[in-house]
Amino acid sequence: MTESQATVVVVDDDASVRRGLERLLGCAGYRVESFASARDFLARGDYDRPGCLVVDVRMPSQSGLDLQRVLVESHHDIPVIFITGHGDIPMAVRAMKAGAVDFLPKPFDAQTLLDAIERALVKDRQRRRVNDRSV
Amino acid sequence: MRTSLPTRFGYHGRRMTRRAETGRILATALLVCVAYYVGANVGFILRFPPATPSVLWPPNSILTATLLLSPPRRWGIYLLAAFPAHLVAELGAEWPVSLVLTLFVTNCSEALLAAICVRRFSDAPTRFDTLRRVVVFIGGAVLVAPFVSSFPDAAAVTALNGEPYWLVWRTRFFSNVLTELTLVPAIVVLITGAPAWIRRAPLRHKAEATLLAAGLLGTLVMVFVEPETGAHPIPGIPVPPLTFIVPFILWAALRFGSAGASLSLLAAALVAIWAATHGRGTFTVPLRAETILGLQIIVSILAIPLMYLAALIEERRRAEKALGERLRFEELLSRLSGAFVHLPSSEMDESFRTWLRRLCEFLRLERAALLRLSEDKELLTASHSWVAPGFDPGPGIIVIRNFPETVERLFSEQPFVLPREESLRDEAPRDEDALGQGRVRSQLTIPLVAGGRVLGGLAFDALAADRAWPEEQVQWLRLVAEVFASALARKETVDALGASELMKSAILASLSSGVAVVDRDGRVIAVNESWTRFGRENDATTYAGIGMGANYLETCRQRARHGTPHAREALAGIEAVLDGSRTGFALEYSGSAPTTERWFAMTVVPLNRPEGGAVVSHTDVTERKRAELEVQRSRQELAHFTRVSTMGELSASLAHELSQPLTGILTNAQAAQRFLDVTPPDLGELRTIVSDIISDDKRAGEVIQRLRDLLRKDVPHQLLLDLNDLIRDVARLLSSDAVIRNVTITLDLDPRPLTVTGDRVQLQQVVLNLIVNAMEAMAECAEGDGIIVVRTKYTDVEAVHVAVQDAGPGLREGSHDLVFEPFYTTKSAGMGMGLSIAKSIIEAHGGVIWAVNNPARGATFHFAMPVSARRSE
Repeated sequence: MTESQATVVVVDDDASVRRGLERLLGCAGYRVESFASARDFLARGDYDRPGCLVVDVRMPSQSGLDLQRVLVESHHDIPVIFITGHGDIPMAVRAMKAGAVDFLPKPFDAQTLLDAIERALVKDRQRRRVNDRSV
Repeated sequence: MRTSLPTRFGYHGRRMTRRAETGRILATALLVCVAYYVGANVGFILRFPPATPSVLWPPNSILTATLLLSPPRRWGIYLLAAFPAHLVAELGAEWPVSLVLTLFVTNCSEALLAAICVRRFSDAPTRFDTLRRVVVFIGGAVLVAPFVSSFPDAAAVTALNGEPYWLVWRTRFFSNVLTELTLVPAIVVLITGAPAWIRRAPLRHKAEATLLAAGLLGTLVMVFVEPETGAHPIPGIPVPPLTFIVPFILWAALRFGSAGASLSLLAAALVAIWAATHGRGTFTVPLRAETILGLQIIVSILAIPLMYLAALIEERRRAEKALGERLRFEELLSRLSGAFVHLPSSEMDESFRTWLRRLCEFLRLERAALLRLSEDKELLTASHSWVAPGFDPGPGIIVIRNFPETVERLFSEQPFVLPREESLRDEAPRDEDALGQGRVRSQLTIPLVAGGRVLGGLAFDALAADRAWPEEQVQWLRLVAEVFASALARKETVDALGASELMKSAILASLSSGVAVVDRDGRVIAVNESWTRFGRENDATTYAGIGMGANYLETCRQRARHGTPHAREALAGIEAVLDGSRTGFALEYSGSAPTTERWFAMTVVPLNRPEGGAVVSHTDVTERKRAELEVQRSRQELAHFTRVSTMGELSASLAHELSQPLTGILTNAQAAQRFLDVTPPDLGELRTIVSDIISDDKRAGEVIQRLRDLLRKDVPHQLLLDLNDLIRDVARLLSSDAVIRNVTITLDLDPRPLTVTGDRVQLQQVVLNLIVNAMEAMAECAEGDGIIVVRTKYTDVEAVHVAVQDAGPGLREGSHDLVFEPFYTTKSAGMGMGLSIAKSIIEAHGGVIWAVNNPARGATFHFAMPVSARRSE
């Protein structure tokens, strides 16, 4: 993998889901970081590292969509993959319009997620190249 | 126009129409006229010419008797009637007209004087049966009237005929004394007493009278008319002729009273004077005026004591008779008083009639009645009456306003006596018209007074003959009336009591509940029909049906020992009511009839009387109980349905709730697959993965279990539970929903466990309904404002208090209670059953539920329920 430095960030309030994703993505060779809430992730900073976000939509206090909005508004357009236990079409449309890579209803197949992550990383790389050029 | 209403007070036909009355007056006048004429001629026969006065002059006595027998207002008519007879009789004597006229005046004045004197001083002018009456009669009519009237008479005769004054005066005086003395009583007694005597006197009485008359006449004839035919009774001793008739006159006086005495005297005087004037018998020598005078004096002297004697004897006989009557009456009265003392009310009616009959028979009356005064004092009703066979039974109802005087007397508690027609006019002129309608000849009405209340009157009517009501008799009858009145009053009281008793037992009998009255010791002293039927139709477990005299408490004790359910509770309840520590007791219990299970409600209330006791009732409430069970079942079904529909609404959040562990499981499992592909597999990591999978699976299982619990259709199941735990479970179940709805549920729970006794599913549903209700209320809230706070705490009154506070729009004005009504909803999708079900569940748990608006915004729903007493167990 050429992009071994890329990091997949998981934000989900459910600990078991977080641990499962850490193991799965670790096995798949990604570097994984996980947070229990959007606030924890935002507190970490350093949003421009290569990689993508896997975010649960429904979380207490700040939802995944809120996090996406914050990032877009602050021009950190990290590719985002939404996972949700309770999805509906308007929510999905809203997320996709705001630039989400994918919108996966829970429970999802591991390969589906890995494919989405692969696409997100491609998008991330393209974004960076454009940014480099523009710089 | 006269009322045709028949009346008890109606008076007999002797009160005549004007025409009949006039006829009677004329007949009497004619009789007076004829009698005067005959009397005058008898007088002429008994005359010693040339002296004008006769030795026996009946006309004056005929007039005196007439005046005594008639009311003063008729005197003029009768005196006038005598006038033609006087003229015809005396003009034949070839006297001057002026003398004839004057003599009429003196004759009339004598009669008037006599009648006035007797009427003025005698209590009964037409009777000569007491000493007083005889004294008055002899003083007034026999002595004073002839004495006074003889002066003008003698003066007229002297002046017009030239006769010697004192001879005339003396002749007239003594002749009139004799005639007044013998003739007036004879006429009066014959007219007033003879018809009745002839009708009523026993045969032996009449035979005796005949014998006496024959003996007297025989003796008179022998002594005065034909003395030579009989042997001289005592040869050699001169015996005055009158000596022989004295025994007969004494006999007459003894046996026939003053009437007999005066009649025999009259006979003796007539015969003696006739003999003397005709020179017969004893009076063989030619008589001179002195002889006649002597004869008059002798007869008068003999007559006066004999009259007194007769009166005394009669008086004595009457007194004895009165005494006898009084004794008989007193005996009657004592039997009467005794008769009603212990008489049952039902026999009183018959007894009243019997005694009215006995009284009538005793008093020789034809009719008697108990008159009852109506409540409005408008009517008198003859409640009991007796009438002699063949007489008019009289009216049953009397309208009081027709008899104002009579009734006025009744109300003033005075007896009312009507002896005769004349007195009626004097006593009660206004009643006269009404009284004139009937056939009563005399009447006595005595008020019936008991306890100061006039109940009516006791009326005695004489229908066959006139009757006097001696004061003594009236007093006796007042005693009779008292006995009747108190018996009537007692009957009224007893009847009223009986009616009230009947009413009470009818009410008891009509009750469908079995009712028994027990005394202070628990002994059954009265039961109604339903009670007995309860015993027959249900087996012994119903407690009811215990017979009279059995001890209820003892029965309960036995059943408690035999393990009959609720017997111990029933026993304690009744004992508590009987000893006054409880004012009532109620118990519902099930018993089994031969076929089906039945439910009964037992109530015990104290009997409000000094001796204590209680009323126990058992009611079959099976139907009600079935209905209640039916309602309870439908409520459960409704509750279940509501839970199912709530779950439907929650399905999205439940999907989310389940998707979390499922995602964990799937992700971990697929990660494990990948770990297994690595050689050698990291077994430690795999073990951790598997345990995570197991834990997630359990999580999913719990969610499903909670869901299943909530949807379970179960009969209520009481157990001890901690409300805090229960609330946490529900909050967990709703957490996903809260996330989806953007609502935060905050729990602020009492640190101590809130132990209550109740049904877990039902109480969960209450909390669930309240929280879902709160979430729905905040559907329109801005993000971040949707906060629900659930608080619990112990209160200081052994109760737990739960409050669910929202920040929605709050309750509409006036809807605080309505929100708990079934089908009350403000939401388009809701059924409006959630809060209503919560209310019925809380109330079934002995709690209360209510809602208030918060000071700032939103509403808070509260419920409180008792802390379980078995918390410490």
